Formats: sequence, structure tokens, C-alpha cells
Amino acid sequence: ALCFQAFLQMCNLPIRVVCRANAEYMSPSGKLPFIHVGNQVVSELGPIVQFVKAKGHSLSDGLDEVQKAEMKAYMELVNNMLLTAELYLQWCDDVTVEEITHPRYGSPYPWPLNRILSYQKQWEVRRKMKAIGWAGKTLEQVLEDVDQCCQALSQRLGTQPYFFNKQPTELDALVFGHLFTILTTQLTTDELSEKVKNYSNLTAFCRRIEQQYFEGHDKDSSAAVAARSAKRSLLR
Amino acid sequence: KYNADYELSAKQGADTLAYIALLEEKLLPALLHTFWVEAENYCSVTKPWFASRIPFPLSLYLPGKMSREALSRILLTRGGPPLYSLTEVEAQIYRDAKECLNLLSKRLGTSQFFFGDTPTTLDAFVFGFLAPIYKVCFPRVQLQEHLKQLPNLCRFCDDILTCYFRLTVSGKLCFFSPLCHVWIKTPDPALIISLQMDDKLDKSPQHPPRKLTTLKLAAGGEESSSLNCLSP
Repeated sequence: ALCFQAFLQMCNLPIRVVCRANAEYMSPSGKLPFIHVGNQVVSELGPIVQFVKAKGHSLSDGLDEVQKAEMKAYMELVNNMLLTAELYLQWCDDVTVEEITHPRYGSPYPWPLNRILSYQKQWEVRRKMKAIGWAGKTLEQVLEDVDQCCQALSQRLGTQPYFFNKQPTELDALVFGHLFTILTTQLTTDELSEKVKNYSNLTAFCRRIEQQYFEGHDKDSSAAVAARSAKRSLLR
Repeated sequence: KYNADYELSAKQGADTLAYIALLEEKLLPALLHTFWVEAENYCSVTKPWFASRIPFPLSLYLPGKMSREALSRILLTRGGPPLYSLTEVEAQIYRDAKECLNLLSKRLGTSQFFFGDTPTTLDAFVFGFLAPIYKVCFPRVQLQEHLKQLPNLCRFCDDILTCYFRLTVSGKLCFFSPLCHVWIKTPDPALIISLQMDDKLDKSPQHPPRKLTTLKLAAGGEESSSLNCLSP
């Protein structure tokens, strides 16, 4: 959810974040997050970017064709590696599942619904992991993959302020969303956030975006709201 | 000792990973679909092809299993709402695959390989995905038609095929191993294709690559033009 907030704030569009228990069902595609504009509801990054572009706001207009291709490739890398690793950690690592995911996911519902729904979600995620070949991976291998992905992102970022030099793009929003969530969410172990912290330019990047786009805004600190909603989003 | 990526910069190495992820996310579902799920293609080409190379009785069971696994992978990774029917999922994955091919074409531009004049891991990956689409003769060929509209990608495949692969007189495909400087009869074109579709190549250790002499096809180049249709 954080990457969308970041993206929308980079486009200078005002937004309000609301937490709802039935959010997954409100979304037209069943996936979170989604935005509700006037009488239209749009979910998922791709369609939201298109929607915003159609309204006249776009972050990647300044890029040439080759750079746009690169941007899309990196976005896929982030989705492929980081998102799948986050899902793996939440739903396939038994310790995390027992102590954090099950209680949090089922918290809005009464017993026994909370257990049933969280087991159902876990079964779905495990099936997907098996289909893409991640079920056989151990936690160490997953962390290795995350490390590799972070290394690639760090090498691509180098010493620039954003991935495509001076202006932030959708890729920056996406990377920020994932990395910030990893860095700020409490899990049973800190290994995942340690992997990210190994790359100082990535942590500096997150801090820069946080300062620029989140802390200037109206209080009860959007960053705190974002962190709270980020915790929920990690579990969706 | 034979690291094709030795001369790449750190950023180019990162780009390699990103493009490989792009291929796996956007192109692979459509490729799996063309080979294993599209009924006409599967029944008339893929199944007999694989079954002819697998010993009985596995040949009765394995192709079917691979087909079911391909379908389940496509549905699980791409088949969530708002796409509710298989036809919608299919339309979406082919749209994504065509967009991916366009992106690759833009990235390749006019250069010979993706990172200059020498091939790297990324070139091998892209070739592995594109060559089956380009060369295998299927009844249903929407991806192939789209690929043929991108001349630089076709030229890329042809270059690699002529440099590193060659048909012998007996019609068996063999490839030039730059490592040993000999021609090696392949086990099977099907095997190469299925290997490419499988997991990532292992990262080789960091050593300078042997200088690859650019290979021109020998004057007596046998029937490389008959590579129009890769047949088992």
C-alpha cells in the first residue's frame, strides 16, 4: 500500500488512507490496495498508474523507450523477488505464520472464522509457491534471493537520488514501498531487514523519499499512518 | 573460468537480473500456454515430440503431467480476479507477452547483442525464450507472428543460430561448444528448449571468459537454412 501512497504523492495528488477490515472484498480485483475516486474504484499498481495517466499525471513521461523498458523490467524484478519473498515469509515460514500472521490476519473476525480464513489464505499462498517452484526453498535461499535483488537495485541506484536520476518514477515508488515495509515491520527475526540494511544507498533512498513525501504532510504523522497501514498491507 | 558476464559492469549485471525477471513474469506464461495448454498445439506438436523422446511407459504419463502443471502455473500466477475465465486469462497473458517482446526489441535496438558485441547470460536467456517461439511450427502461432514483426529480434535469433548451432547432414541438431571448440551433437532440441524453460542457469565463478572468435558458418554449412522448421 505504501508504494501507491508514495506514487500518488509523487504525482502531487492528495490522498487519505483508510483501514477497513473488508478491504479485500471491496476491491474490484480482490487485491489490495485500491483507490476510490469519485464514483470509480481502481485497484493494483498497473491500472492505477494508467488511471492517473489518463487524468493527466505521469511520472515516466521524461523517459525514452529504452529507459521505459528498463523501468518495467526492474518493476518485474521487484515483484518477482521481493513480493514473493514477503509472501513466503508471511505464509510459508512456520514460526512467522504462528506468531504473527495468523493472529493478525484473523484479528477482525470472531473465532472460528479467524482460523478458517487464515488457513484458507495460507493454503492458497502455498499452492502458488508450489506452482512457481518456491515451495522447495528454505528460508536461507529466500533470503539469498532477497539479497541478490537488493544488490541489483543498489547497483542500479548507485549514487543517484532516484533510479532514473533526478525525477522519481513508478519504480521509485514501488521500491520504496517494499523496502520501507521490510525495514519497519516487526517480525520474529530481523534477517530480512538486515539484508536491506547492508546496502546503505538503499536505506538512504528510503529515508529521502520518506522525508520528501511523507513528513511534510498533516500530522498524526502520515508516516506513522503509513507504517500502520503498511503492517496491515504486509499481511494482505 | 568461462563467465560470459565477466566484462559487464555492476549496473549491467543488475539489468540482466531485471530483464530475466521480466521474461519469466511476462513471456513465460504465454510460452507455456503455446506449448502445453493450447489444445491444437499440444496435441499435434508438443505431445508427440516429447513422447517420442521419452521411454515407454513414461511417455504416456509425463507429457500430460507437464501440461497440467503448466496450466496450473498459469492460472495460479495470473488467473486471479478480475479475470475469471480461461479465455480472459489467455488474452491477458498474450497481451503481456507481446508487450514484453516489444520491450525487448526496443532494448536491443540495432546492436548485435544486448550488451554490445559479445554475448552474455542475458542473450542466452532471451535466445532460449525466443528461439522456440520463432522456429517451432505450430498450428496456432499468434506469438510467432508478433515476433516476426520485430526484425531485430529475428535477426538476433538467426545470428545465434548460425553462429552456435548447426544441422548436420543426418538432420540432428548440433551446437558449437565454444568451451571445447568442437561441434557437439545435442541430446535433443526438445531438451534444450525444456532446459531453457527451467530454472536459472547457475552463476559461474568470476573468471575472465575465453575470447570467443566470431564464428562464421563454414562454407559447407549444411542445411542451416532448413532450420525454418525445427523438427525432432
